[in-house]
Amino acid sequence: MNKKEVFKLAKGFRGRAKNCIRIARERVEKALQYSYRDRRNKKRDMRSLWIQRINAGTRQHGVNYGNFMHGLMKENIQLNRKVLSELSMHEPYSFKALVDISHRAFPGNKAAVTPKKEGLAILL
Amino acid sequence: MAAAALSLCSSLTPKLPHTQSTAALSLSRPNLSFLSHSLSSLTLTARKQPSLSFTVKLTDTEAAVSVSEPEPETESPVPESEPIVETAEVPKREEVFAVVMVGSRQYIVFPGRFIYTQRLKGANVNDKITLNKVLLVGTKTSTYIGKPIVPNATVQAVVEEQALDKKVIVFKYKKKKNYRRNIGHRQPITRIRITSITGYQDSPFVTLDS
Repeated sequence: MNKKEVFKLAKGFRGRAKNCIRIARERVEKALQYSYRDRRNKKRDMRSLWIQRINAGTRQHGVNYGNFMHGLMKENIQLNRKVLSELSMHEPYSFKALVDISHRAFPGNKAAVTPKKEGLAILL
Repeated sequence: MAAAALSLCSSLTPKLPHTQSTAALSLSRPNLSFLSHSLSSLTLTARKQPSLSFTVKLTDTEAAVSVSEPEPETESPVPESEPIVETAEVPKREEVFAVVMVGSRQYIVFPGRFIYTQRLKGANVNDKITLNKVLLVGTKTSTYIGKPIVPNATVQAVVEEQALDKKVIVFKYKKKKNYRRNIGHRQPITRIRITSITGYQDSPFVTLDS
């Protein structure tokens, strides 16, 4: 990479890394290595983020993430985790329908009940 | 440069008639004095604007843009007009959404909006395409959940643009081995605009009761 490109990429770096070519080249190369690695890591990170969001969404209806996904698999619903997390955030009623279906996939389960939130009223 | 300057003008011109007509004129005059020797293409467009009246200026620049960028610019007025009609009928929220599988990825789509997908090979600009892998349809009152797809449900879309994504620098490096590779990559993508979601009414659904 020539100097001009390196400085263009080094914009916003701190200290001498933005205007001395030897240091800038070093930092830019390291930064590009990180970006190469993190394009791969992004997939894992996003997946774990989606799982957290789905888990938060399903627990509002009294089901945990693992049972919810198991129910969906059993019902052959092939929505992926990205879509499920977006549904849980922006389409709560559709998400509730999914939770109900996955809960009913196992005979013997009662209807999914939303856990009642009891605050400090118990203590008082 | 010239194309970029023209596209800049095109992005500015729609704002002109509403609010900033006078401000834009007063801004364009300093451009003349500053950039007359540096950027010839910019000053050419800037010189055109003050000489003409408002309405003539608008039509002139739009015509110039449509000549320079025929495909994407000529389409955009048509889809832009559609959402306006929809919003006139429906006050706020979209009536219906769907989860659709395109190129082994799933997208939540709303009629009137566009999505970027993986390059759809063989699809030309302005082609009408039908996406029939619909995994879920949601309306205001009910949800149609596909196991795994909603039977007969389809999503109609129009191909708007065959483009390339932003450049990604693929820098490979191995320490102590004197190995480094610097490769640029631009992923081919397709922009499609969703026109309608149909055919889901007959399938089983879950209604909102609580």
